[in-house]
Amino acid sequence: MANGQELLKLEGVSKAFERDSGAIMALAPTDLSVEREEFVALVGPSGCGKSTILNMVAGLLRPSEGRLTYDGRPVDDLNLRVGYMTQRDTLLPWRNAGDNIGSPLELSAHKTSKSERDEKIHRMIELVGLQGFEKHYPGELSGGMRRRVALARMLIYNPETLLMDEPFGALDAQLKLVMHDEIQRIVGIGRKTVLFVTHDLAEAIALADRVVVFSGRPGRVKTVREIDLPRPRDVFRIRFAPRFTELHEELWDHLQDEVNRD
Amino acid sequence: MAYVARDSEESLVAGAARAPRRAMPGEGRLSQFLTSRGGRLFGQFVIVAVLLALWEVGSGIFLPRLWVSAPSAIVAQLYKWFSDGSIWVHLTATISSAALGYLIGAIAGVATGLLLGLSTRVEAIFSPFIVALYSLPKIALAPFFVIFLGIGIESKIALVAVTVYFLLLYNTLDGIHDLDRGWASAYRLMGANRREIVRQVMLPGIMPWVFSGLRISVRYAFTAAVFGELIAGNRGIGYLIEDSAGNFSSSGIFAGVLALVVCSVGATQIIVGVERAVLHWKT
Amino acid sequence: MATAVVRNVIAERRIVIVCRLVLFALLLAGWEFYGRFVSDVWSSRPSLILARLWTWAGDGLLLHIATTLTEMACGLLIGAPVGTLLGLVLGRLPVVAGLVRPIIFGLYSIPLVTLAPLLIFWFGLDLAPKVILVSIVTFFLLFFTTFAGVQTIDRELIENYRLLGASRSEVIRKMIAPACLAWILSGLKIALPYSLISATVGEMLLARAGVGFLLMYASQQIDITGMLSALTVLMVIGVTIGEAANKLERRIMRWRLLVA
Repeated sequence: MANGQELLKLEGVSKAFERDSGAIMALAPTDLSVEREEFVALVGPSGCGKSTILNMVAGLLRPSEGRLTYDGRPVDDLNLRVGYMTQRDTLLPWRNAGDNIGSPLELSAHKTSKSERDEKIHRMIELVGLQGFEKHYPGELSGGMRRRVALARMLIYNPETLLMDEPFGALDAQLKLVMHDEIQRIVGIGRKTVLFVTHDLAEAIALADRVVVFSGRPGRVKTVREIDLPRPRDVFRIRFAPRFTELHEELWDHLQDEVNRD
Repeated sequence: MAYVARDSEESLVAGAARAPRRAMPGEGRLSQFLTSRGGRLFGQFVIVAVLLALWEVGSGIFLPRLWVSAPSAIVAQLYKWFSDGSIWVHLTATISSAALGYLIGAIAGVATGLLLGLSTRVEAIFSPFIVALYSLPKIALAPFFVIFLGIGIESKIALVAVTVYFLLLYNTLDGIHDLDRGWASAYRLMGANRREIVRQVMLPGIMPWVFSGLRISVRYAFTAAVFGELIAGNRGIGYLIEDSAGNFSSSGIFAGVLALVVCSVGATQIIVGVERAVLHWKT
Repeated sequence: MATAVVRNVIAERRIVIVCRLVLFALLLAGWEFYGRFVSDVWSSRPSLILARLWTWAGDGLLLHIATTLTEMACGLLIGAPVGTLLGLVLGRLPVVAGLVRPIIFGLYSIPLVTLAPLLIFWFGLDLAPKVILVSIVTFFLLFFTTFAGVQTIDRELIENYRLLGASRSEVIRKMIAPACLAWILSGLKIALPYSLISATVGEMLLARAGVGFLLMYASQQIDITGMLSALTVLMVIGVTIGEAANKLERRIMRWRLLVA
């Protein structure tokens, strides 16, 4: 899917957090580049700095060392060209699902007329399968439903690059597959670049063009693997393809050391 | 950083207010009855009735009636005040000074909280002053207001306003601290400017705190108004209480306190109603 | 709003401290200047207040402070154990608690300050009415903390602990007692500032000693300097006990960690 144009580049990027007890290295110097319209999955044990990378790409954190560029320019302020679905949802509890989804379109940056907004919200609600829950407040929704609201809120204003931090961790297996199908379709249609953090290796292989396996504490890239499964993929059946199994086994060997070390 | 324990009193009371456990089967018929809703009300009614009866009968036997009054005497006192209409001027005075002071103090408190809270640095600069003022019993300012504003309603309004002002200031600041940082970050990434974040995230986000401040403040507003009247004044429930004490009428003191409790509880219920309507998303 | 940019924390702290000092100095200097060159009839001025505090210090100020502190201490000593005990007992008796608790709530909705005239009427103008007022306030706060605390002790947790082989006395020593201590400490933390308010209120209404009395005495002479001096003393006491309360809270945190 990638078109060979480099969009995101990390050169020796590392991150240390200052704590009372001294600096804690979250991410060792890392090189990584992501092409436009590429779907890259970051896999690894918890605490390996995957979320830190997303935060830096979004401009919420600065690298301690190294150079991080987005579309050729260093990210030294908020990166407004990304949509970010954080691990913990940031829905506003006093807005119902529909209003939360539509909230980006109320901002002057994406100003949209009321009727157009309502129509887009309606389409998003259908897309993420929340019909009938538009008027529910986040406090009244299950964890999985809130994830879908957050996803819809990110998609509705059509950002160029999607950052997703364990977006489907809380979903049950069936729903997860449905969402994989959706995300693949949306990304395909919208020609998005995606940086996708997950624990779930099968999810990473099923969705991504490239999987980056991290080792933990401090995080560093252990291996990078192109996923040469043909697109479009049938996310429901791809798990049974022999090539999928091969890739899964290969990457699992890398990941297993990390998991065992934990 | 949270300021002092100003909200803890309320959270404590809320914690203690949690519904008690229901009786387990086999715990006896009496306790089963007493944990049912009707049974509990009945039990409470009985307890209160017995206490009042003991007070009524015991007064004059165990303790001089002049000192402890009696429920019947208190009711009679209230009846007298209401039937000759003499209580109205006092009720009006206390309620209007409490209400006006509350309004002024609440608006100013929230406004100051927002102004300080908008900038971490400005707040950090002011915080020691705020903490020091927190430690000062606001009620101790009463004599200043009497000297500067006289013994009329103005000094009571000022005392109420100062009391409520600080409660709302602390609650607003704590509300701002308590805001989920993720909300603002998410909004900024979606392209929101500062004004939009303040209007769409901060203001609605601190509402639960503002309302909790408004709710606790009612009681303190009435307390401050009455204290102002106790210190100096010629009308108001506080004056009525002070006057009764001067005339050795314990019935008058009790009746005044009772009238005050009714006002304070009633006003709190109004705020609770507004809170429920505004914060209907809270489950 | 916290900006995403990581600020230099130390430089920021320095800026804040300098601003605080400048603000404080400006405030005092402005006040002093106003009082000295415009008018100090209604506003007094810092130097006069300091001078007054100095005079008072050699003339019974300590006695007044001691009076107020004694009232607070006695009230706490009476109110806290009673409140704690009732909280513990009612916490273990859910049926009785269901009946009595709303009544205690109802009583707590009385603005307690208004009881001061009654207490003065009953117990005269010395320490007793103030002590009782403080103890009533303390009683309620300690009752609420302990009662809420007992409810949070998880029966299952106790049972699990016993299944692990803990004896009954170990359950009490290692779980219930430390938890109780934590509730009592957090109740005391909240009660401390309230005890100062209650004692002051009592003294302002009728007294022969105490910081509240000093304040009212000065106000009757329309002695602004005296009033502000008394207020300063109150503020210092308030900040001191506030600090003490924070220390208590830190201790609570440590207890909580031990309990958890």
